[in-house]
Amino acid sequence: MSDTPALLPTLERIAERLDARPHLLRMGALFSETVLMEIDDDCYYLTFHRGRIEKIAHGRNRKTPWRFAIRTDADALERFWQVQPAPGFHDLFGLVKLGRASIDGDILSLVKNLRFFKELLAIPREEERA
Amino acid sequence: MTGVIEPIIGRYLTVDIAGRPHRIYFEENGAGPPVLCLHTAGADTRQWRHILNDSAFSSDHRIIAFDMPWHGKSLPPEGFETEEYLLTTDCYIETVLRVADTLELDKPVLAGCSMGGRIALQIAALHPGRFSGFVAIEASDFQPAWYDIDWFHRPDAHGGEMGAALVSANIAPHAPTAERWNTLWMFMQSGPGVFRGDLSFYTKDESLVANIGRIDTKVAPVHILCGEYDLTCTPEDATRTHRAIPGSSLEIMTELGHFPMSENPARFRPYFARALAIVTGGKTAVGTEAA
Repeated sequence: MSDTPALLPTLERIAERLDARPHLLRMGALFSETVLMEIDDDCYYLTFHRGRIEKIAHGRNRKTPWRFAIRTDADALERFWQVQPAPGFHDLFGLVKLGRASIDGDILSLVKNLRFFKELLAIPREEERA
Repeated sequence: MTGVIEPIIGRYLTVDIAGRPHRIYFEENGAGPPVLCLHTAGADTRQWRHILNDSAFSSDHRIIAFDMPWHGKSLPPEGFETEEYLLTTDCYIETVLRVADTLELDKPVLAGCSMGGRIALQIAALHPGRFSGFVAIEASDFQPAWYDIDWFHRPDAHGGEMGAALVSANIAPHAPTAERWNTLWMFMQSGPGVFRGDLSFYTKDESLVANIGRIDTKVAPVHILCGEYDLTCTPEDATRTHRAIPGSSLEIMTELGHFPMSENPARFRPYFARALAIVTGGKTAVGTEAA
């Protein structure tokens, strides 16, 4: 685990921007779970309550239960967040297909909230576009 | 300004498929050598709306597209309420041939996308004399699912919304926003279990692998198109399929994904024009300018 939570500012900005997107909050209204994002060896636990990110905890903690985990690397995320990503880097499942990400745990929970999650993760890309 | 009426005309036909009557909706525009267009899994004829409306094609072709049974404005057969919809190769081929017969199409070009492209290649292998050429878009011999098709038909979730969220992975980031969402809307509207039943055919039926060697491009040319952003039928899948069909041609389309005619019609237009020119032996007058 690294000492510097490199992605924390980006994830916090996603949480902040999410609050200003009523359509996403509407879509995520039934989503109250903790999601693990593991970037390289860095762990971030995102706790959602009715579509809002209420808490982001940094650092691996085996006592924190999570519903599903997305594991990827910082370079893949940087490419994912480009305004016009290269083929495969344009979508979460594209990263998985490229072997640059994996999804574990209750994948159906992700699929039931897939549009919410994809648009949430793409917020930095949309900000670049704007 | 007052409203605009498009030149597309929609009608219905009824044909027997697997011994049962099916009411099928079709749209057409133009006059000339016919081009029969097939939509993807989980969608309908609206995917072809821009090609149908494009006078560059309709000025010298009769462009036709139809909704598969269970899709769009085509009804499922009587008794569907207790059936599990699972598309099969035999039923799909019979549907395409019956529609072409009923419309009295004389050796049309068959242009299909995704599962429509797959069945176009099956028909090229098994019924080569029925069509004058084949445009197989986002089509390959076979690729298994990289997802669980049962996700899309559950009592506790909306299969259409999940299906749309999944297939959004196959749309290039260059797609105009309005057309991206028009494309996804069709998946959101798909009837319960229909996308899953289409995917059963697309991701489990490997029979084209054994049949592909029977395709004779001297009888009817085959042109394959594949978008570089297609995660489902990747350029590698399309290239492998092209190499398995001697005499076929292939074009990888930049800045396009799995639904090129719908997600980014302006970008797709020159590729489709080139495809038609190739499979009709250059007889088409449609422009072939690069994008």
